[in-house]
Amino acid sequence: MATDKSNFQLVVNGILNENPIFRLVLSMCPAVGISTTVMNGFLLGIAVLFVQVFSSVTIAIFKNMIHPRIRIPTYTLTIATWVTIIDMVLAAYLPEAYARMGIFVKLIVAFAIITMRLEMFACKESVTSSFWDGVGMGLGFMAGMMALGFVRELLGLGTVLGYDVLGFKPLLFFVLPFAGFFCVGLMMAFFNYIEIVYKRAKAIQG
Amino acid sequence: MKEILTIIFRLTVSCLLAGLVMGGGYIMTTKAKQHNEHVNEQKVMLSLLGYSKDNPAPSDVELHEIYRYVVTEDEELSVAYLIPIPGGCTFVNIGLDGNFIGQVPVEISAEKVIKAGDRDKAIMAALGEGKAIRFADQTIVVTEEGFRMAYLLPGEFPGFKTFIKVILAVDPAFTLLGLEIMEHEEDPGLGGEIVQDYFKGQFKGKPFATIKTLDVAKLPIPDEYLQALESRKGGISASEVERIQQLYSDKDIYALTGATISSRSVTSGVQAIVKKFAYRVSILDRVLAEQGIEVSF
Repeated sequence: MATDKSNFQLVVNGILNENPIFRLVLSMCPAVGISTTVMNGFLLGIAVLFVQVFSSVTIAIFKNMIHPRIRIPTYTLTIATWVTIIDMVLAAYLPEAYARMGIFVKLIVAFAIITMRLEMFACKESVTSSFWDGVGMGLGFMAGMMALGFVRELLGLGTVLGYDVLGFKPLLFFVLPFAGFFCVGLMMAFFNYIEIVYKRAKAIQG
Repeated sequence: MKEILTIIFRLTVSCLLAGLVMGGGYIMTTKAKQHNEHVNEQKVMLSLLGYSKDNPAPSDVELHEIYRYVVTEDEELSVAYLIPIPGGCTFVNIGLDGNFIGQVPVEISAEKVIKAGDRDKAIMAALGEGKAIRFADQTIVVTEEGFRMAYLLPGEFPGFKTFIKVILAVDPAFTLLGLEIMEHEEDPGLGGEIVQDYFKGQFKGKPFATIKTLDVAKLPIPDEYLQALESRKGGISASEVERIQQLYSDKDIYALTGATISSRSVTSGVQAIVKKFAYRVSILDRVLAEQGIEVSF
């Protein structure tokens, strides 16, 4: 069963139709815990992007050799290997980036979104499709995290990317972990609303 | 039965493959990683001495590394120091009673001496058969124009969860010049606060007499002291900071809220490192003077 989507559609699909945070509602722990600033969201997004792409491609290459009853352990092993490699490479060659990202990279082993994409997509599709699906999912996750981070940072700390834009702290409540749930819920509702309006407009036109 | 065997076989192969990939990655990156750690350590050490990018160390400031080893020979223990001397290194062996046992020159280059494996090999080659050595710790003697200006003491001690790694700077009279936390796993927000200026800054300027009896006070930090400790945030003049630091230099360490155990372990850890070092360096200096060994510091 091969996907009928083009590479570009796969990327867009990851960012919009199947956005990991707002549509698939996966990996909520990092979404709620870490998305307190735009920068945090961006750094975690980059790390997820790399791990997702590498793991998807690896699984797509070896998909015929994986015994169906041990797929999940194999996926976990693959993700853990890539996370370790990325962690070591960052520590060795980009020590300054590692000082800020290291803590996020190690978290990724347990992310639901990566295992889920391997199970739903990479183990059935071609290597190229899996690569682009990985890119789409990684970018979608990054976009979601940054959108959440933007709202929470602006409303909680009054800053954007660390720059003071409001000059005061409106609601410190928003940077606390439980506010992450409110943010995700409200933003999910907002995006659903946009979708409904868009579809309705399209139906009237058509 | 056949299926379970295939599963076992495939899982084993996948694990082996993953292990190979990770091992390969480790071998390729470990050298660069160690180099980074070394560079970072050097930077921290210079910052503890008050130097930074804008205020670089003058060229007559030199760092000399001393490595302390425990030597075992016929089940008898003794202490030994690998000391830099003009034109090389020497391994000075001192008995537990503080008496000189012997010294051997060790041939090792300046680049290799910082690597634990190469260093141990060179020492073993110089010592010959029948002796076992175990690395204990290292000390860095800082000299300016040939005179000692400070000691840097990397060390570790148990924290609330696992070991806390630190680097201390003390002057020749063992007054603390600064404390930097290199590695820790204390709880974020509680014991993790040991890395904050308002905690580790409290150790700065404590004289040796105070360190010997240093304890933790479960009291809130007085406002003016807190302001002085967080002087990096601004709003207070440098001379004022110095005056307030002076005022509190013989006081105990104010504990972190909700993290008495972490506060205590850092305090007693620092105390132990400085006390032990002061004792050891006095013996080492006496032996070096008695034997007339000429050293680079």
